[in-house]
Amino acid sequence: MTDSRREFLRGARNSVPLFLGIVPFAMVVGVAAREAGLDAAQGTFFSLSMLAGTAQLAAVQLYGAGASAAIVLLTAMVVNLRYSMYSLSLHPVLEERSYIERLLAAFLLSDQSFVASMTELETNPDNPSLPAFLFGSSLAIFVVWLAGVFLGFVLEAMIPAGLSLDFVIPLAFMFLLVPHLGGKDRQVSVLAGIAASVVLVPRLPLQSGLLVAILIGIGSGMAAGEFLRTTVSGGERP
Amino acid sequence: MRFYLLFGVLAVALLVIKGLFLCFVPNRKIPPFLERSFRYIPPAVLAALIAPSVLYAGNPAGLDISPARLAAGLAAFAVALRTKNILITIATGMILLWAFSFLFA
Repeated sequence: MTDSRREFLRGARNSVPLFLGIVPFAMVVGVAAREAGLDAAQGTFFSLSMLAGTAQLAAVQLYGAGASAAIVLLTAMVVNLRYSMYSLSLHPVLEERSYIERLLAAFLLSDQSFVASMTELETNPDNPSLPAFLFGSSLAIFVVWLAGVFLGFVLEAMIPAGLSLDFVIPLAFMFLLVPHLGGKDRQVSVLAGIAASVVLVPRLPLQSGLLVAILIGIGSGMAAGEFLRTTVSGGERP
Repeated sequence: MRFYLLFGVLAVALLVIKGLFLCFVPNRKIPPFLERSFRYIPPAVLAALIAPSVLYAGNPAGLDISPARLAAGLAAFAVALRTKNILITIATGMILLWAFSFLFA
């Protein structure tokens, strides 16, 4: 077995423990896609054309609620901005690869495969087959993700509406939120996001409330971070 | 058709966000102001997605405050903080929501 093939498989195996968090979330996205009124062909296109987790879920919910195209696009893009930071960090790893391979890596990139690859980069900085590891990890996650979306999409039709299945969505997000609560500045950003969304989401026209609330949350966090940095020296920085 | 146009454009836009810096590195650094904002995107996004669907009933969220959702949501969040387990969080939240809806109805 070649080195890169071994690393590809190792990357895939490494992501197995992450499946437990990925499958329920993917199923929630499948449920949301069906609740937004997507048919089977649209659902297939939706799940194969992007891998974007939260952004994907926000986009399909806004679409289902009748938001304008501009709001759907803008909200999903803001939610996904963090990927530009990921790809900047991964640039040195994929520098030698062709543009096609880099685009494929970008398409398949997820929070989970990014974290797995950065951990691998830290423990094993001279590993020449790190791109293979990244591809193995990303591809395994994408396949499992797709299976979860499909399962959610199919199961949604069988579950009676009285069970309030849509409540699974905020519950899955709560789990995702927990690792991001470190630091007073980020807690300010959470509280501002809660307050702004509760007031604005039902009231602002064209479903623009979510986007505005997110921007208020980010802005408040930055202001709090700035305040802590200037007044409490060496305070709450990670 | 509107669906395919919108989600086609979205797919390309998301790929550009994910791939731009893998293909090209800016010769200037990202503005520090933008770089600092990244730290707050996940908490702000998740908080804004969670809060209205926990407080209000209906999809898209209306203005009817739902005590059952709020109580179940708060309890589930406490469980998420403690267990850091997605399945236990979802199970707690759903079972409590069903129980509270039954009690409050």
